[in-house]
This record gives sequence, C-alpha cells and structure tokens, in this order.
Amino acid sequence: MKAVIKWTLWQRRFNIVWWSIASFFLIFINMIFYPSFKDQAVQLQKSFENLPQTTVQFIGGSTDFFSPIGFLNSQIFFFMLPLLLGVLAIGLGSSLLAREEQNKTIESLLARPISRARLLLSKATAGFVILGTVTLISLITTLVTSRVVNIQVSMVNIVLATIACFLLVLSFGAIAFLFTATGRVRGSSIGIATAVGLGGYIINSLAGTVNWLKVPSKLLPFHYYQPEAILRGTYEWSNILFFLVITLGSGILAWLSFRRRDIR
Amino acid sequence: MTIQAAIKIEALTKRYGASTKLALDDLSVSINPGEVYGFLGPNGAGKSTTIRLLMNFLQPTRGTAKILGYDIVKDSVAIKQSVGYLAGDFSVYPKMNGKQYLQYLNELQGSGGMSYVNALAKRLNADLDKPLGELSRGNRQKIGIIQALMHQPKVLILDEPTSGLDPLMQEEFYKLINEAKQLGTAVFMSSHILSEVQRICSRVGIVREGKLVGERVIADLVSEAAQTFNITFADTVPLSELKRIKGVKIQNSHGSTVTIHMKGKLSGLFAVLAKHDVSAIAARNLDLEEMFIHFYQNKGARQ
Repeated sequence: MKAVIKWTLWQRRFNIVWWSIASFFLIFINMIFYPSFKDQAVQLQKSFENLPQTTVQFIGGSTDFFSPIGFLNSQIFFFMLPLLLGVLAIGLGSSLLAREEQNKTIESLLARPISRARLLLSKATAGFVILGTVTLISLITTLVTSRVVNIQVSMVNIVLATIACFLLVLSFGAIAFLFTATGRVRGSSIGIATAVGLGGYIINSLAGTVNWLKVPSKLLPFHYYQPEAILRGTYEWSNILFFLVITLGSGILAWLSFRRRDIR
Repeated sequence: MTIQAAIKIEALTKRYGASTKLALDDLSVSINPGEVYGFLGPNGAGKSTTIRLLMNFLQPTRGTAKILGYDIVKDSVAIKQSVGYLAGDFSVYPKMNGKQYLQYLNELQGSGGMSYVNALAKRLNADLDKPLGELSRGNRQKIGIIQALMHQPKVLILDEPTSGLDPLMQEEFYKLINEAKQLGTAVFMSSHILSEVQRICSRVGIVREGKLVGERVIADLVSEAAQTFNITFADTVPLSELKRIKGVKIQNSHGSTVTIHMKGKLSGLFAVLAKHDVSAIAARNLDLEEMFIHFYQNKGARQ
C-alpha cells in the first residue's frame, strides 16, 4: 500500500507544487487589498446593503463584506477556496484510479499481490494527502496574510473554516472517485461531481429567495457549509457529519463496486 | 502420486455485459509444473479473455480456474505472489524510467532487492535509464519481460511475449523460458508465431470463437507431421521399396532423384536407404503452419 501512495505522490509532485503556488497567489492577491477596502468600508457597505437578496445569497449570504469576518467569508471561504480546492478534489477523484484504467497501467498493479480494496484505499489516501497539502498551503497563506493586512479574526476559527472547506471538497472528490470506481469514464464522473458541487452552490444560494428549493438544497453538501458562522464561532458542528457521511458512503460504495467488476 | 496441476481451468466461460455471444465458452485446460503451454488462435478467439480471467481482471460468467491450487477469484492476491504476467498490450508510465518502474513493481511484489532485475536487464540489454515513453516497442517489451520474471514466479502467464523483440532478444527470451521450465515453472502463453510455439512449447491448445477446438502435444505433432525429403541415389530409385514404407507418399521421381512426403517414424526410411547407395539427401523443415491454419479455419472437434 505504501508503494502505491509513494509512487502516486511522486508522479503528481509537479501538480502539488503548481496547485500550491496557485492557491498561495489567489489567496494572497484576494487578501492583500483589504486595507484599501477597510478605509472605504462605510461607503461601500451602504451601497452593498441595497443589493437584491438573490445576489447577496450568491456572494456569501451576508451584506457584511468589509468587517474582518465578512471580508474573509466573501473573499476566501464562501466561494474562492471551495472553488479552488473543489476543482482539485474533483480532478483527483476522477483521475487517480481512472487514469490507471484508461492507460491500462492498472494491470501491472493488479498483477501484483495487492487486493483491489488496498489499491482503492492507497489511491484515495494519495488523493487525501495531495488535497491536504494544498489545503495546508492555503491555510498558512490565509493565516499569514490575515496577520500582515491586520484582519482581526480568531486564528482558530480560520483553521476550523479551512477544515470545513476541506471536508466539503473532499465529499466532491469522493463522489468523483465513486463514479470512476464503478467504471464510468472520467468525463461523466467529473460532470456528476461538478453538478453536486457547483449545483449545490447555485441551489443553496437560490434557496434563500426561492422557497421550493429549500428542501432540495438540504440534500446537497453546500447547504451544510456555512463559513461565516464558523468564523463567528456560531456554527452547528453536527453539520460536518453530512460531509463525512457522503465521503465515507462514497468510499464504501466505490469499494463494493470495484472489488468484483471487470477491468476494461 | 498425481502431480497437482499448476493451472487448472474447468468450464471457464465469459460473456461481456449484455452480449449474446460468449467470449469464452466452456474452456477446460490443465497445465502441469514445468510445462510450457501455447495458446493459439486467430484474433478475437478468446486468448486474451482467458488470460485476463486467470489474472482476475475479468470476472468469470461460469466455471472455475485454479492456479497452484488457489481459486482465481477468491485467492487472487495469494496467487499473484507466484505468478508473473505480461499483457499483450503492455502499458507503462511514460514519464518513469525503467529503473523507477521496476522498483515500483518490485516494492508492490515485496520480492526484496533489485539484483535479479539488474541481471535480467543485462541479459536482455534493456535500457533502464531512459523514460519509458521514449523507448521503442521492442525495448518496452524487454521491460515487460523483466517485470514478469523479476520475482522468479512459479507460473508465467504471457500474452504474445516476443512481439516487437528482435531475433537476438527472442533467442534470449527462449533461453529464459527454458531456464524457468527447468526450475518447474509452468508457462501459459499466447502467440501467433508458430515457429516459436513449436520451439518452446510442450503442448498447444487452439481456441476459436471462444471454444477450445484442439489440444495437442508438440512432440506428437512433430511425429505426425509430414516431412519432405529429396533423395538422390547413385543408381535408379528403389520405388517399390520406398512405397512399402509406412507413411511414405511419393511426390515425384525423375531418374535417380525422388521427392517423398513422410509421416511418422523415420526408421523405416533409413533402413531402405541403408541398403542403397545414396549420393544426397535433403530434408525440409517441419512446417506446422498448415495444420494450425486447418484448426483456425475449420470447425474441428476437440482432439
């Protein structure tokens, strides 16, 4: 199992570096202009308070954009970080196993004394490590930059919001992984996982103003991701269970499907 | 004492998805330790399906198979401790070099050091430093052969192992197979190269449209196969004596030269020749191709 994890990480070493650099720059550039916004916070806040409710829902569900928590929520945690890490998670979930199968290199691995369950677990672990590394770089960038530009938010709450974001995107990656494990082509697994992720974001945003979307929004992971509440320390942590259930459930279904199916 | 078969396939059947046609139909084969079994058949006959079933990449629709007494489905992981496999369309990670790739597989196999890998690479003159994506097909195939043999398995399952290899490397591969055979390794290999099959296999099975249509011992085929002799006598051809030899068919005769077609043991022919003054004799190599083509093309019952 160690060998598969080690060599998968070795094969993806440049991916890890480039994703880390990208996350660093995106977070840094988003946060570095906070002092300019802060100086004009009162005027900007007034103009944003007149935004339609639907628009507000799409940018974080709060009209507080220029307080330290409001800024971090709208600029980093509500959209940018889930998008960045979500793309990475879905990309990993849909390729870690599927690329081996598509390129037929999976036969060289399964011709060795390694069970399909172990192969699946090794690939999932490698994905977890890659996603975790980029998340950690994102967290460190957020923490350091927030100190540099003097965003006064509890460091613990920033860590917790990042963990929640990690678990959210992990569930997207797990869904993509599940569909490739069932033998679906990469394209459809990316499509399904993106629909759950991006669709969840849209439905959850619209559910604030469209009543009949309230129930379906509860079936999607994004509904349970409330970074502003985490940053304020008012989050109901049982919500995290939803991400864990999706991730573990996808993992179990992936194993059940992969253990006895034909390798193409 | 009965020897336990290294590979025992019983009524193995495979149907892909909702297809109405069976890719493999009721295949039963048994291969002993130290035996090299050639698996022949035209494209799409079911050779690769059989091999991929044995490796548990595919799930059987019906039937069972055992390798070294282990069930191919239930005990797949245990089996792979002792099986070396080479795929027909052997694929690699293009950015890894041979050394990294073999080290990866060696770690998965848990077979210890790389000294035997290096010895094999030396014998096959394999380039382990170049990225695998930059290697020619033949050089990639050498890496494939090394990874199949590197843990000195008790069973080798090889799908067209010499494709892409130059004649010198084919020769080295035959030596490696022969050495493995001496150590008791059972080899199950598919091939299209009949001369290769004739040379290294002890038995062949011929599969067509998913069914085993023939199974023969190579030594029997050799003794049964017709051989052609051009014989020049110092005086006239002893036609009546030659005709009396069992299995002889006179092809043509001109003056002191005769061409005969002969099946079976040669001792009768040589007894006649010993009584006469023979100035020249030429034998044409055995050619099993015609016989295989017969199996490939005609519906034949299992023999």
